[in-house]
Amino acid sequence: MSTDALDRDAGVQARVVAALAARALRSQFRRAQFLLPSFVLPLLLLAVVASGTSSARRLPGFPSTGAYVGFVVAGTLLQGALLAGLTAGIALAADIEGGFFDRLLTAPVQRVSIVLGRVSGSIVLGVVQASLFLAVAFLFGARYQGGVPGIALAIAIAALAAGGMAGLASAIALRTGSLSLLQNLFPIVFVFLFTAPAFFPRAFLGGALRHVTVFNPLTYVVEGIRGALHDAPALGNPWRGILAAVGLLAATTALSVLAMRGRLRTR
Amino acid sequence: MWRRSLNEVVRVRGALLPTTVAPIIFLLGTAGQFSRLSDLHGFPTTSYLAWILPLSCMQGAGFAGGAAGANLARDIEQGWFDRLLTSPAPRPLLLAGPALAAMTRALVPTTVILAVGLALGTGLPGGVPGLLALYLAGVWFCLIASLWGSTLAMRARSQQVGPLIQNGVFLAVFLSTAYTPLPLLQGWLATFAKYNPVTYVLLMARQATVAGIPPSWSHTWPGLVALTGMTAVFGALALRQLRLINR
Repeated sequence: MSTDALDRDAGVQARVVAALAARALRSQFRRAQFLLPSFVLPLLLLAVVASGTSSARRLPGFPSTGAYVGFVVAGTLLQGALLAGLTAGIALAADIEGGFFDRLLTAPVQRVSIVLGRVSGSIVLGVVQASLFLAVAFLFGARYQGGVPGIALAIAIAALAAGGMAGLASAIALRTGSLSLLQNLFPIVFVFLFTAPAFFPRAFLGGALRHVTVFNPLTYVVEGIRGALHDAPALGNPWRGILAAVGLLAATTALSVLAMRGRLRTR
Repeated sequence: MWRRSLNEVVRVRGALLPTTVAPIIFLLGTAGQFSRLSDLHGFPTTSYLAWILPLSCMQGAGFAGGAAGANLARDIEQGWFDRLLTSPAPRPLLLAGPALAAMTRALVPTTVILAVGLALGTGLPGGVPGLLALYLAGVWFCLIASLWGSTLAMRARSQQVGPLIQNGVFLAVFLSTAYTPLPLLQGWLATFAKYNPVTYVLLMARQATVAGIPPSWSHTWPGLVALTGMTAVFGALALRQLRLINR
């Protein structure tokens, strides 16, 4: 089969995407510098926030979800998705600086497959993360009134959001090629997290922040997760969450494909 | 050694950003997310920003101390520290220099974060005594973080220990009365925070901005005891590791 034919064969490209996604996942689980932010940090924050702010349930009008950890875990899923996305970008930047990216470019694969592989890996990672976080929260008293369908929907929303953030981080990595820049973006993850109702209901947020949340797509993601888990439309609309996550994924994947083309043009 | 460590802050562009920007983001984000907590009965202030501001100052100072440990790990990995070990200088000075630089450096995030809080309307009900307590708590906590970081750096001899250093500081600060006062904490964190020395350091620091914690000896001495104890423990660990590093 010629190089052009390989390039056009959808089956071949799908295998390429799967192989690159698998590689991305393997590197995630082999290196402590990726495991720590993707799994340990969100769980630590869940423990700290769930215990440290649990007295919030006494506030008039605070929504009831059973154990407080059941309310907060949606924020943990969002945080996990953000960090999974960022570590994908960091890994891509490391590949660029280390030369592996150049080797990929010599292979007869569609350039967009390189981006899709990275994003797909993050989506799978998002599924693993969300499942783990929900299981841990369950062990500590969270109960999910949405049942299996609600849990599945929440995991899907979180995983798609992880893919969306991976697209954004990959776009930055492709645009700049700088590993240290990507590593220094870690605090920015918390800007995205805190400008969404990650740990408190939107109505309870401070004045200016409440207005800002309207414009943050992650607001609808975290509310969608919460609504799905507790089968409570008042907490959030899961379908709006899916829409926001899919929209984010599509937009940032397009951004990273553009960044890839820009990078190849300047080489 | 002090001057060399401070040179890095001046020469490396953005060296102060991580220890300043991250705590400011946490300050604004946490204050925005959890602002209603100060409505709870028993909260010693009506301003959640005032409650969280000293925490952010401590966090910034702690990260500055942790960064000193990470820099030492880099020096060890790159061989510079081996050259220092051949010098006739007393060994403890090799740790004291970077620690002093970190403590000097900690004044920057503490001041910037305080300025941000004041600009957003947090007052200083504790006046000058409260302010002194805040700076003393922050700078001294920075020293302890630096000793912790140095111990790990000498043990691991690798820059990969950096995240572990910073996460240790993060945990120490947040597994305390970070978000709510002790009487409002519940479950395992209530017990843990009671025995976490950082809880008492935060109490000392909060005399600056929290109206319900006025400057007094009773709010200060537990923090001083905690800081002294942590300095003794981490100082001993760091000196022990320094003796072992040449073996």
